[in-house]
Amino acid sequence: MNDTGYNLEGLRVLVCDDSRQIRSLITSFLNGFGVKSIDDAMDADEAFERMVEFDPDLIITDWNMPPTDGLEFVKRVRISEDSPNPYVPIIMLTGYTELYRVKQARDAGISAFLAKPLSAQALYKRVTSVVDDQRPFVRNDLYFGPCRRTNPRSNYMGGERRKA
Amino acid sequence: MESPGHRLVGNNSGINWSMADSEIFRPPRHISQKVPKRGGPSPADAIMRALNAADDLIGQYQGWAIDDLEDLWQKFNEIAKSGVVGPDGIEAMFDMAHEIRGQGGSFGFDLISVIGDSLCKFIDGRARLTGVELEVIKVHILAMKAVFRQQLKGDQDVLRKDLRELLEMLRAKVDLSSNFGIGDPSEP
Repeated sequence: MNDTGYNLEGLRVLVCDDSRQIRSLITSFLNGFGVKSIDDAMDADEAFERMVEFDPDLIITDWNMPPTDGLEFVKRVRISEDSPNPYVPIIMLTGYTELYRVKQARDAGISAFLAKPLSAQALYKRVTSVVDDQRPFVRNDLYFGPCRRTNPRSNYMGGERRKA
Repeated sequence: MESPGHRLVGNNSGINWSMADSEIFRPPRHISQKVPKRGGPSPADAIMRALNAADDLIGQYQGWAIDDLEDLWQKFNEIAKSGVVGPDGIEAMFDMAHEIRGQGGSFGFDLISVIGDSLCKFIDGRARLTGVELEVIKVHILAMKAVFRQQLKGDQDVLRKDLRELLEMLRAKVDLSSNFGIGDPSEP
């Protein structure tokens, strides 16, 4: 074994999914990656409560989990006045892969999108990409979250043409 | 450093700036501060360990997935009894199919996700289900049962492609016969 990869031991990850089996699968994968501190929640309300006590560095959440869906959870984390950490990276894990859904999730303020079915490879790639993600945050009347420009030109410092 | 259209708004890091409508800034802390880029297992090792850690769980999948599928089957029979399924029944079936779609491939049964995906696509957007549409749903559920019965695990490369095409053709044929998805050209 060569210790040449990311050291994820110090990471605290909150997993939110209404499927106990999927929560267990993600937890097992994260343990395999070396993550030591993992907490989980079965719905958005519980996850928001867990955030206060657990103070995660990363949240992995499902989209479809009644009564409050993952999209509402992301918005609550980002813009609610009582959010413990509006900047926490959020990976949205979902079987919804249609383009309009991806845009909805992006506009809610997610950091990364991960399509189900889930694989260990894809999860590792997403977690490490979030670690490497240096996008700034944007706040305006319509949006709060990571800059939605994901390419290197997001560092462009010329005249701004985009409006909120 | 200030650029046309942007205004620096904060600290001396030179990274907080705003424009007329948006403020752009660095969060006070970043996840990378908790993750050294060396000292952990290589990506290949990390993934191997993850698969090993999940091995037992993946092995147990079929047991509870068959129960979930049986729930879907019973739900289908219950709501299809009258021959017409309305919005509530459609939503309930979609949610169940959506879960199965996400779980199948995650636990090594890729074909379950292929069939679940086809079922979700078929159900999504419909206001009601009748006759041949209910038959299409039945075919999907029976196909999933067959996958478990025959232990068709893993990628199933050729079969997966064939099955996806076949289900796509089935959906298209039924949609064509019922004009589903073909909007009224007079509507905007």
